[in-house]
Amino acid sequence: MNPSTSTKIIAVLGGVAAFLGTAAIFLAAIGRPPFATLMQMALYAFGDSYSLSESLVKATPILLCALSVILPARLGLITVGAEGQLYFGALTGTAVVVSYPAAPMIVLMPAMLVAGAAGGAFWSGVAGLLRARSNVNETISTLLMNYVAVLLVSYVIYGAWKDPTSLGWPATIPFPKAATVPSVFGTRAHAGLVVGIIAAVILHIAVTYARWGLALRVLAGNRKVASMAGFDFNRQTLLVMAIGGALAGFAGICETSAIQGRLQAGISVGYGLTGFLVAWLSGQHFLRAIPIAVLVGGLIAAGDALQLYAKVPSASATIMQGLLFAVALGASGLAGKRTTRHG
Amino acid sequence: MAEPLVTLSAIRKQFGSVLANDDVSLTINGGEVLALLGENGAGKSTLMKILYALYAADGGTILIDGRPTSFASPREAMAAGIGMVFQQFSLVPALSVLENLLAALPGAPWLQPRRSARVQAALRWLTRLAPNINPGTAVRALSVGERQLVELAKVLNLNARVVILDEPTSVLTPAEAERLYGFIRTLAAEGKAVVLITHKLADIAACANRIIVMRGGRIVDAAPARERSPEALVDAMVGRGVVGSLPVPAAPTSHVPVLQVRGLTAQVQGPFVRHVSFELAAGEILGIAGVSGNGQFTLAETLAGLVPASTGDVVLDGVSIASRAHDGAIAGSVAYIPERPLDNAVVAELDLALNLSLREARRLPLFPRRETIVRRAEALMARYDVRPPRPALGASALSGGNLQKLVIARELSRKAKLVIACYPAMGLDVLAAQAVYREMFRQAADGACVVWISEELDDLLSYAHRIAVMHDGAIMGIVRREDADRQVLGRWMAGHGRNAA
Repeated sequence: MNPSTSTKIIAVLGGVAAFLGTAAIFLAAIGRPPFATLMQMALYAFGDSYSLSESLVKATPILLCALSVILPARLGLITVGAEGQLYFGALTGTAVVVSYPAAPMIVLMPAMLVAGAAGGAFWSGVAGLLRARSNVNETISTLLMNYVAVLLVSYVIYGAWKDPTSLGWPATIPFPKAATVPSVFGTRAHAGLVVGIIAAVILHIAVTYARWGLALRVLAGNRKVASMAGFDFNRQTLLVMAIGGALAGFAGICETSAIQGRLQAGISVGYGLTGFLVAWLSGQHFLRAIPIAVLVGGLIAAGDALQLYAKVPSASATIMQGLLFAVALGASGLAGKRTTRHG
Repeated sequence: MAEPLVTLSAIRKQFGSVLANDDVSLTINGGEVLALLGENGAGKSTLMKILYALYAADGGTILIDGRPTSFASPREAMAAGIGMVFQQFSLVPALSVLENLLAALPGAPWLQPRRSARVQAALRWLTRLAPNINPGTAVRALSVGERQLVELAKVLNLNARVVILDEPTSVLTPAEAERLYGFIRTLAAEGKAVVLITHKLADIAACANRIIVMRGGRIVDAAPARERSPEALVDAMVGRGVVGSLPVPAAPTSHVPVLQVRGLTAQVQGPFVRHVSFELAAGEILGIAGVSGNGQFTLAETLAGLVPASTGDVVLDGVSIASRAHDGAIAGSVAYIPERPLDNAVVAELDLALNLSLREARRLPLFPRRETIVRRAEALMARYDVRPPRPALGASALSGGNLQKLVIARELSRKAKLVIACYPAMGLDVLAAQAVYREMFRQAADGACVVWISEELDDLLSYAHRIAVMHDGAIMGIVRREDADRQVLGRWMAGHGRNAA
C-alpha cells in the first residue's frame, strides 16, 4: 500500500473517531446519553427503508449543489452561490407551472424542469459573465446574489403568485400531478437523486478523460500557457458557471415540485451552503461527493427525527453537522501536513 | 587603504555540468564602488553569494583583511561585516518597518520597550537613508524602492563594511534609482566597500569607480570606470569571436512581407513596447539585440498575442493576430519560446506528456487516448534529448535546461508561420544551443518568419538576416547583417540614437 493511500485511510478513520468523540461530548453536555443517542441517530438515518428514504431526500439537493460548486472549482473558481441558484431555479420552474397549470404532463414536466435548470444557469451565468468580462470576484458576486434570489421568491409568493385559496399562507398553488417529479424506488426519494448521480458520473468522466478536462486543468494551472494552447478562460468560466447553476437550479425545482408540492419560503434548509461544504470535503471530486452527500443527508434527517422523538433541541442537528465539517476538514488538513512532511 | 578589505582568489564553482565561476580572482576595497557587470548567468551573483557564504566554493580562497577565512553561513559572513541585499527582499510585509529592523538585530529580547537604545540602533541608518519613511508603516504599504532602502538599512545596521547589492535598480523607477546612486556614493565616501551587481550600463555611469566584467563564469575585463566606454563594456559583456559552426541560413527568396508589425505599443506592469514597427518576409530571421529588460519580453508576448496591444497591429499572412492568442487558428501557426519556461511556457501541475501536447490540445479528439499522447511525447523527448525521458513526470521535476528543451520540442517540432524565440539558448550548453538554433533555422528555411531575441550579439551577427536593437521599449534601428557594425549596435544598446552619438 502506498503511503498516500494509507494516509488517506488514517485521515478518514481518525476523522470519524474524532467526530464521534466530539459529538459524544456535546450530547453528554446537553444531558443526553451519548452512546445511545448516537446509535439512535444512526438508526434514524439509515436504519429502515423509511429513514433511508428521508436521508436520500435530504441528500439529493445537497449532492446537486455540491456538483455545482465542484465544476467551477476545477477551473479555480470558488462559488458559494448554490443556494441562490437553487432558489432562482425554483422560481423559474414554478413560473411555468403557475402559467400553464393545466398543461399535459408530457409538456409541463419537461418544460418545468428545463426552466428550472435554465434559471439556475442564468443566475450563476451572471456571476460568470461578470468574472469573465470585468474580473468581478465570483465568490462575492455569488454570495450576494443568494440574498437577491431568496427575496425574489418571497416577493412572488407574497404577491403575484400567492394562492388565493391558501388563507393567507404565502405559497403558490399546489403543483398539479402533471408537474410533480415522480418518486423512485417506491419511497419519497425522487428522480432528482438519479439525475444527480448520473450528472456526477458524467462530469467525472468528462473532466478526467475528455479534452475538456485538460482545458480546465491548463486554465487553472497557468492562464498564459492556456492562451498559447488556444483555451479561452472567459468562455470556460461562463460554461462551468452555467452548468453548475443548471444543476443547482434543477435541485431547486425538484425540491419544490417533489417535496414541497408548491413554491413557498424556506424550500431549502441551507442546502446550498451544505453542498459547498460537501464539495470541499470531497476534495472537489465528483464521485466522492455522492457518499458524502448521503452521509450528511442522513445526519440532517436523523437530526429531524431526534427532535421529533427524542426531544433533543432542534439546533442539535445543526451543531453536530458543524462538528462533522470542522472535524473532517481538520482531519484532512492534518493528513495533508503529514503527507508533505513525509514527501 | 593599503590593504584590500576582501580578496577572492581562484574561486571556482560548478553547478552540475555548468561552470558558474571559473578561476575568478578580484579584490574589494573600502571607499570604492565596484561594479560587477555581466549578462544573466555570467556568474556574478554566484560569485558574491560565495563571498556571502550562501554557496560553498568548489575551489579558491577568500581573504578578509588579509586573513584567510571560510564562513559556514551567511550569519558568520554578516558578523565579519559582509552584507548583501538581494533582488528578492527578505522583509515581512505584515510587520512594520521598525519591527522588521528590530527582528534583524541579533539577540532580540522577549519584551521590546518602545523607546530603548535598541530601537534607536535599529532606526540609526533608516533615518539617514530615508527620513521620510515612517517606521510605524507596515512594509506592505511601501513602494518597492522604499522596501529596498529598508532592506539596505537592515544590512547596514549589522555594521556591514562590504555592502553587496544584487541588481538593485532592476525594480526601481528612474527617480528612485537616482536616489539610490546618491546613497551608494555616500556609503563609499564613508569608507565602506560597495559591490554593485548589475547588467545595466546606466548604473556604471552613475556611481561605479571600478568595473569588473564577467562572461561565462570568468572575468573578461577589469578597469577603472572612466576608462571604458559603454560600447566597450557591451562588447566585453556579450563577447566577440565565439565562432559558430552552423551553416548560415540562406537569404529569404521573396521580399513580400508576411509579418507586418505596425506602430505596436504595449505595456505589462513596467516593461513596455513603444511604437515598434518592422516587416519580415517568409524565411527571414530578425535578431533583436539589446541589454535585457529593455522591453524585449513584452514585445515577444505581444507578438505572441498574449499581451493586448494598446495601439498598433500585428498582421501575419494578412490576418491580424494581436491579442488573439486563444484563437485556435493562431495557436496553430505561431511558435513561441518565452523566457523563464517554468513560469511562462508550461503548466507545472501537469505531467510532461500533457505539457508537450498543449499546442495540439484543441485538435485532440474529444476523448484523447493517453497512450497516443505518451507515445508522441516519448518520441519528442528522445528527438530533443529531454532528460529524464519520462513523460509521466511533473513539469517542475525538470532542470531549467531540460525544460527549455521540452518547450522547444513542443514549439519547433511543428510547422509554424511565425517563430518568436526569447533567449532560446539560455541555460543550454553549446551543443544544445546549436541544436536549438538548427531547429529555428530549419523553420526559417521552411518559410517561417523568425523573431529571435537574444543577448548573444555574436550569434545574432553570425546567423540573423537583419538585426534590430531595442532600448527602453523602442527599436533604435534595424540593419542587415552585412551592414552591421558592432560600434553602431553598441551605441544603440547604450541608448544613443543614430544621430545622437
